[in-house]
Amino acid sequence: MPEPEPEADDAYLVARARDGYLGAYDLLVARHSAMAYRVALRLAGDHHDAQDITQEALVAAWQNLDRFRGESSFTSWLYRIVTRQALTKITRGRAEGSLDLLGDIPDPADGPAARAERSIAADAVTAALATLPLTQRTVVVLHHLEGLSYAEVAQVTRSTVPAVRSHLFRARRTLGTRLSEWR
Amino acid sequence: MEVTGPVNDPAPPGQHARQLLAGGQLACGADVDLLFEQAADGNAGQLMPHQRDCVHCQAALAEFTALWAPVRDLAATPVPPPAGLTAAVLSQIRGLIRDVWYTLQGTSDGAIRVATRVVATIARDSARQVTGVRVALGRASHGRAATLAEASTLRHHHPHAAVGVLGRTAVIDLAIAVTYDHPVRDTARHVQQQVIRTLRDNPGLQAITVNVTVDDIVDDS
Repeated sequence: MPEPEPEADDAYLVARARDGYLGAYDLLVARHSAMAYRVALRLAGDHHDAQDITQEALVAAWQNLDRFRGESSFTSWLYRIVTRQALTKITRGRAEGSLDLLGDIPDPADGPAARAERSIAADAVTAALATLPLTQRTVVVLHHLEGLSYAEVAQVTRSTVPAVRSHLFRARRTLGTRLSEWR
Repeated sequence: MEVTGPVNDPAPPGQHARQLLAGGQLACGADVDLLFEQAADGNAGQLMPHQRDCVHCQAALAEFTALWAPVRDLAATPVPPPAGLTAAVLSQIRGLIRDVWYTLQGTSDGAIRVATRVVATIARDSARQVTGVRVALGRASHGRAATLAEASTLRHHHPHAAVGVLGRTAVIDLAIAVTYDHPVRDTARHVQQQVIRTLRDNPGLQAITVNVTVDDIVDDS
């Protein structure tokens, strides 16, 4: 009977995956696919799009493991890939190169199609999120829903802490107004 | 009896919040955005010196905390990924990797082949059963032997495989972590013996090389 599998840390698994041990990447996917799907769903607002984004992001991460230099955590790196894939999907290819929070990416014309959550309150938040410009939606999802600090959000989005904070101020005002109307 | 304010006409829910957000400052001069940030980040209970004595700030923090509650609830709501998502990702990745196939038996009914990744998985699980091994990762070697085998068997591609076969020969690389209380060399040797035995018994490989790399040692306490 095999003994229980211990927790191998991400850095170890990344190193092994880069050496060709596919089983190491299996473990990384199993560990992080829920996060990737959650972020994709909250950014895109559509289950089918979220599945596509998650698959594309995790495959892209595999293909680019050699570029991961370990300057940030694997989680931060994956957040960045998922976020970029989501914005690319939402804007149908209009998102380019790096995520630049200082220049807003225009909203898609049709917006998210389906609600992510079932409760009325969650629907209200999801609907309000969908009205935000994508840059503001991104920082709200990463900070308020994923719990990343301002510095971590800035790292994921390749922005600065003051820029992230500024986007959050504006996003909260919009969300607050929407939620007050819902109440 | 003294009536000090309206009692029959309470403001509609949300109106106070909208009024607060419409203005930039409270009557006391406090910045609305900073108060909203404090409440949204869950710090409404950590009052600053001015806020401890300011009813305006305390009321605004309470209002913003209530306003932001659905967002906090959404953040706390689990979002389980769809069943099969992880498998789909791994299947897609494996499709990108060229597989070397082992031909194990040639019978009158046809050939039986097992993919290298299957052999690697069997080897990894076998290694994990050795006492003192905590993590085991396996890969089928794509080294020189595999390259030579591919070149010599290009005419025998499996319909769903990208490359050829290696007959009943296997080269397996294993990376393991060993616990402190077990001798590294002995443990690695036991892994080699265990994996070779398993690969002979299970997929029926014959010439097996098992390269073991001990790349970590862990505290089992």
